[in-house]
Amino acid sequence: MTRDLTVGQFIPGHSLMHRLDPRTKLMLTFLFIIQVFLTKSALSLLFLLLLLWIYIVCAQVPAQKVFRAVRPIIPVIIVTALLNIFYVSGHVLWHYAFLRITDQGLFTGFTLLVRLITLIAGCSLITYTTSLNALASGLEQLLAPLKRLHFPVNELSMTLSITLRFLPTLAEELDRIIEAQKARGAQFGTGTILNRIRAFFPVILPLFMSAFRRAFELTNAIECRCYHGGEGRTKLHPLKLRRLDYAAVIFFLAAFAMTLIFNGIRQPF
Amino acid sequence: MALIELKNINYCYSLGTAFEKHALRDVSMAVDAGESVGLIGHTGSGKSTLIRHFNGLLRPNSGQVLYQGNDLWKKPNEIRSIRFQIGLVFQYPETQIFEETVGKDIAYGPRNMGLDQEEINARIRESLQCVGLDKSYLERNPFRLSGGEMRRVAIAGVLAMRPKVLILDEPAAGLDPEGRHALFDALHQYRRKSGAAVVLVSHSMEDIADFVDRVVVLDQGSVALDGPVASIFAQAEKLVSIGLDIPQSTKVLLGLKAKGYSVKTAAYTVEQAERELLCFLKEADRP
Repeated sequence: MTRDLTVGQFIPGHSLMHRLDPRTKLMLTFLFIIQVFLTKSALSLLFLLLLLWIYIVCAQVPAQKVFRAVRPIIPVIIVTALLNIFYVSGHVLWHYAFLRITDQGLFTGFTLLVRLITLIAGCSLITYTTSLNALASGLEQLLAPLKRLHFPVNELSMTLSITLRFLPTLAEELDRIIEAQKARGAQFGTGTILNRIRAFFPVILPLFMSAFRRAFELTNAIECRCYHGGEGRTKLHPLKLRRLDYAAVIFFLAAFAMTLIFNGIRQPF
Repeated sequence: MALIELKNINYCYSLGTAFEKHALRDVSMAVDAGESVGLIGHTGSGKSTLIRHFNGLLRPNSGQVLYQGNDLWKKPNEIRSIRFQIGLVFQYPETQIFEETVGKDIAYGPRNMGLDQEEINARIRESLQCVGLDKSYLERNPFRLSGGEMRRVAIAGVLAMRPKVLILDEPAAGLDPEGRHALFDALHQYRRKSGAAVVLVSHSMEDIADFVDRVVVLDQGSVALDGPVASIFAQAEKLVSIGLDIPQSTKVLLGLKAKGYSVKTAAYTVEQAERELLCFLKEADRP
């Protein structure tokens, strides 16, 4: 295994977060994203971190796993934060040649760092606590009104769930092919850039072939089960909003309002 | 000294996480030059994990992999050159084909070895012939071949490196009887010509009985049995208890014996069973 496939993969459980309706979770995730971007002051940043901690506890996902989801984008976050530190004007604390660090820049950079980490960590919770099927059917129902506009909602949700379902499969396939070519002496990550790119053909081509083969097989399997799109298709487990969902919505809205209030309070900065 | 030897190998997947899985426990086995060894075991017994240790695709958590007496992991930089000597053919190897012609695909391994064009061409012809395909295949598109032919092209791609140890994971899976026959003929021929050691992983006891001299049985990540074919298949009960089987022909003889006929049951291939049965019938005819 060359990569960790467990990042973002559903962890079965019965936590509060697990029991929420996928539609609620999708909407609340959306709300949370907006909330993160509206967070401006130090106080609301602290509040955001507190919220994140509460959500992680409610989801009963090991914090370690949540931060593993953040790890791959840490370089991006750091570069973005650094750019902010150097480019925002304000009271100059330190300067060398054309580089200046200002108090405002430092604060903006730090804010950005916290916001992005919270954002990714928060969003990872929905994938950890929601199975792909639930996610797809939640999305399908949320988008259902678009059907009036002849938007192919069912097809979209089917495509989405197939894509998500096959990501780990293809990742496994990729590992297998890499191993097979390594056994024939393939070398990755050495030599000139051209050589490095060339080294990936023996991996990418078979991967595409196998993706196509799988696609054809899947088409047959779907046809054999008489799938004909969403028209008249019923669900084994219809989605139902419960008291828990309403409670969650109220909590999230309250938290949202708190952030706005905290933003307004005068800061030392 | 054994050609390749595994010493007390332990291997865990996802070590240190909640998904930790102990795949191999204290596995030791050795393969001599020219030997043919069968590796059998139930699904999930660790066969595929084990063969990845032979050519350094996986690094054991503890234990040693010795090739010609040298520890593979003492010099990790040289593992690539050792992979040319230890050919590994994975399950469904035809899925690793990527070139537009059969010839080019077979050339991939030898080219990675840094051989000159003349030598590469010689090896392509040789390995193609070994797997029973003629020169007309060289310029053909591998994706247009039948499943059995593609499989043989993929195996030729490994043979072209002239490995001293050839490891195959379920090489006959999904092939029709004719394709299976052609494949095992090719393997026999390669072994005879090159004197290479062959390790065959298979679920088919018939393939094992036909092809190998010695059998290693894996059960839940450890070596359960290791010995000549005859002594392994003689322990039918033990094999069945770990979810394996014995060859059909042996079953027939055991069945006859259970019914009170005094046949010898030490036969594992159809030919051997036929001989035993004829022997038995001749004796029965005698007044």
